[in-house]
Amino acid sequence: MKPVLVVGGGIAGIQAALDLADQGIKVYLVEKSPSIGGRMAQLDKTFPTLDCAACILTPKMVSVARHPNIELLTYSEVKEITGKAGDFRVKIVKKPRYVDVDKCTGCGVCMEKCPSKKIPNEFNMGLNNRTAIYIPFPQAVPLKATIDPENCLYFKGLREGKKGVCRVCERFCPAKAINFDQKPEEIELNVASIIFATGFELEDPRKREEYGYGRYANVYTHLEFERMLSATGPTGGEIVRRSDGKHPRSIAFIQCVCSRDVSTNPYCSAICCMASTKEAILAKEHMPEVDCYIFYMDLRAFGKGYQEFYERAQREFGIKYIKSRPAKIDEDPETKNLIITYEDVTTSEYKKLEVDMVVLAVGVRPVSLEKFFPVEADGFAKKKDPFLDPVASPVEGIYVVGMVGGPKDIPDSVTEASAAAMRAAIWAVKG
Amino acid sequence: MSKAEEEKREEVRIGVYVCHCGINIAGVVDVKAVAEYAKTLPNVVVARDYVFMCSAPGQEMIKKDIKEHKLNRVVVAACSPAMHEPTFRAVVEEAGLNPYLFEMANIREHCSWVHPDVKEVATEKAKDIVRRAVAKVTYLEPLERIRGKVVKSVLVIGGGVAGMRAALDLAARGFDVHLIERRPTLGGYAARIGYLDFNMRGADLVKKLIEEISKSPRIKVYTNAELVALEGSVGDFVAKVRRKPRFVSDACNACGECAKVCPVEVPNEYEFGLVNRKAIYLPFDYAYPRIYVIDPEACNKCGKCVEVCKPKAINLEEKEEEIEISVGAVVVAAGYRHYEPKEGELGYKKSKRVITLFQLQRLLAEDGPTKGELVIDGVRPKSIAFVSCVGSMSTTPEAATYCSRMCCSSALKDILRIKERYPDIDIYYIYKDLRTYGRDEDLYWKSIEKMVRFLRYEETPTVTPEDGGVTIELFETTVQERIRLTVDAVVLVNGMAPPEGIEELSGILKVGRGPDGFFKEAHLKLRPVEALTDGIFLAGAVTGPKNIIESVTAGSAAAAKAAALVSKDYVEVEPITSAVNEEICSGCGMCASVCPYDAISIEVKEGRRVAKVNELLCKGCGACAATCPSGAMQQRHFTDTQLRAEITALAKGVIP
Repeated sequence: MKPVLVVGGGIAGIQAALDLADQGIKVYLVEKSPSIGGRMAQLDKTFPTLDCAACILTPKMVSVARHPNIELLTYSEVKEITGKAGDFRVKIVKKPRYVDVDKCTGCGVCMEKCPSKKIPNEFNMGLNNRTAIYIPFPQAVPLKATIDPENCLYFKGLREGKKGVCRVCERFCPAKAINFDQKPEEIELNVASIIFATGFELEDPRKREEYGYGRYANVYTHLEFERMLSATGPTGGEIVRRSDGKHPRSIAFIQCVCSRDVSTNPYCSAICCMASTKEAILAKEHMPEVDCYIFYMDLRAFGKGYQEFYERAQREFGIKYIKSRPAKIDEDPETKNLIITYEDVTTSEYKKLEVDMVVLAVGVRPVSLEKFFPVEADGFAKKKDPFLDPVASPVEGIYVVGMVGGPKDIPDSVTEASAAAMRAAIWAVKG
Repeated sequence: MSKAEEEKREEVRIGVYVCHCGINIAGVVDVKAVAEYAKTLPNVVVARDYVFMCSAPGQEMIKKDIKEHKLNRVVVAACSPAMHEPTFRAVVEEAGLNPYLFEMANIREHCSWVHPDVKEVATEKAKDIVRRAVAKVTYLEPLERIRGKVVKSVLVIGGGVAGMRAALDLAARGFDVHLIERRPTLGGYAARIGYLDFNMRGADLVKKLIEEISKSPRIKVYTNAELVALEGSVGDFVAKVRRKPRFVSDACNACGECAKVCPVEVPNEYEFGLVNRKAIYLPFDYAYPRIYVIDPEACNKCGKCVEVCKPKAINLEEKEEEIEISVGAVVVAAGYRHYEPKEGELGYKKSKRVITLFQLQRLLAEDGPTKGELVIDGVRPKSIAFVSCVGSMSTTPEAATYCSRMCCSSALKDILRIKERYPDIDIYYIYKDLRTYGRDEDLYWKSIEKMVRFLRYEETPTVTPEDGGVTIELFETTVQERIRLTVDAVVLVNGMAPPEGIEELSGILKVGRGPDGFFKEAHLKLRPVEALTDGIFLAGAVTGPKNIIESVTAGSAAAAKAAALVSKDYVEVEPITSAVNEEICSGCGMCASVCPYDAISIEVKEGRRVAKVNELLCKGCGACAATCPSGAMQQRHFTDTQLRAEITALAKGVIP
């Protein structure tokens, strides 16, 4: 049996890799960032069961690391694919971590000592900072440090022609794992089939400038809010305003920011209505006295248990749903409160609502690797035959799952991942 | 444990390993003090601390000690067993010990993480936790993992798109598949859906799948067949399948002479009752198998068909038969049932002008009763109103509470088809909430371009058939006005309900149902195609409303899970199960009555009734052990002796 390549270490890629490996097939799982886990690792809880995301995701990440049939290639990217189904040749570039992963124990001493501490922490959506040598989050797999050469003082010094600057991590590492001489490494793999599970990015909320993201301190994206909700997040689970560090007394969640919108993305992002409903419930659980408003167009509560979750949000938590797409948001220059102008469709009147915090449900955009498979005008992968083989790209032997093929929630992404594992396994067995 | 037994035991030699977990534990707990304390505990031969016990050097340290110090029990004080118990079990096993002679002491999640501000108290608590683990490990017994055989074939229940996709994938992967379908033909609902999108017909998809299945030597199809019992357990099931009589053998050449002479007519369920069929019929032209079938409930046994059948294929006396199929895994793709509105519900059956979305799809199909012409009650309508959420979202008292997910997109796709063929038809889409999620939003944009008029309701509209039309009254919420409109026809956008027979199937498979009546998955989020019962996988709409693409996807997904199971040479389950001490068991059966997995049976052995545990079914929940009035039922790895030792050790810290 030939191996299979899975690209992307989020929940879809993890599931695809596990389902292949459990069939006795060798899998290479390539992830471009230092750890697997993807977007789901950033979530506090998941709808509609309110399961803690880390609690259900981390065991799967550990299973990947422990599986004898999975070879994990983190901090690596696919450069080139040649050949055909049953016999692909793939070039992978392993970026240098500047840390010997066999020696690193993930103890974190380097992070304590690193003097370059002001780098926006991607995992926390920039709400706090990390060091130049870092482990993305405490449950990272592999639990190994990585040096970010852009911000490392030693590499900065080298670029300025100065040698031997800093190297503090090297001095303090108890495992002697730091290696500034690492170079990118190219690996060539021969695989039977390939699954792309490269996930999504959030659309840039600044494109809807009337909502003031980036200009008003107390306007957040929902992923930022999700990090604030998390007990392991930058605020330790406290919901506080950027402007004054105080708890908000009212929060408005605005749907369809850069979704269902011809000027940005015409499609519905499929996850935001339920994510906002969940975030409003969690805000209420954190601060029972907070008022939560959800501005929506249609409430896309289409999945199993979703309509019931939406009804529970209203009945049990008193979350107020307002069917309207706000026209604009203004900031009170003194209080930094936000004034939302919207049309009350029940009276056709313009109304204003003042809140302490706004959370924008920003739409998704696929991370599609166009050079490896064809995509539609909206960026999502084309399908060979969407009904007969819904996870197959038009390139034989290449499968696309999760957000790559269209906006999708976690259960649908996981199902697609398993489906692609099945389809990809057939090539592995033939080969 | 009796004194004699105590003396029989080998000398217990325990090693204790306290992990720093970087600063996760060592930042709060004085790990060196904990290790020193561990050395003072009975039977502890060696105790050490290390920065990361799970790292390669940490693991090596344990293995070396096992050999050098002749350890026969190991305790690691570190994180949750959910994280690293498998790691350390493997370590002790590699060093030659039984992997179950290991105990984890969780001093991270249970201690350092929750007491960061009280370091001294946390250190004392860590000592208590270690003392408990040492006490338990002293009494642990070696266990052997239980292995069961794996039959390399799969039973697929349901011949709709999800079941057919699953069967084809498993066959292509190299496994034998038994595909059972309760109706006389493969195809399911998709076969009856006119158009799936602008080009693809339901029939096209079903034909392709059927063609592949008919060519596959690995797939055995049983139509008119139902599962009546499932015995055995994961990897080794025996399915009992009842094949209902078809009354027509495969000598049938589908000439159709029989149906011509058949005097009995009943509503044709394949056309959603829009037209009638005979008691002997072919479900549809490309049915598989392409053999006529007699509907025993309609047939009056007049024998006219037998007289005209040239190949002598009809046998009115055919009896049902039961067969047994041996399989390693089961994929359940039993599908759904469309919501059939009650008579009078939103005008349904009060006029032929009020039809359902499923009926409309037959009218748009070239192989349908109107050959694809949109003719309702004998006329080509000039205006049609669609009413959404029929049977869903609590629209009427009869309706379900859930959203049926596929209906908005499905209705808009049909509307666009109508608009393309008949641009002059006025269309109103009367909806509660518009849920064209994801990229299906495109259907909504296109419908707006085609001037479909969208009206939104919260209060359920009234639908009143009148002469030559249907009147709908509603309170439109976006304009806040009561609206009355008369149209030529109304389409009730009906949703999905659990399939017929799901109650019986639930009992046979021991798969539970949710409040919506559909099957419950092992985990809604991350295990959507698995049942909680090992070896049973769920595909398609049987777990809840899904469109065709999602159902086909779930078919492949469930196949992947089944393939993982049957590709193994054997199944291995944790030996942490219940065990009966037959000498003191009185056979009262209380254990069997509380077992949620039906793993316990009462058997007669040497003239006495005793309980028997099927270890492959037992999940080790402990309910039976807690219930047993005589102490005969013990939970391995959590025996009374072991638990008592733990409790006594813990109580030492509290009770002097």
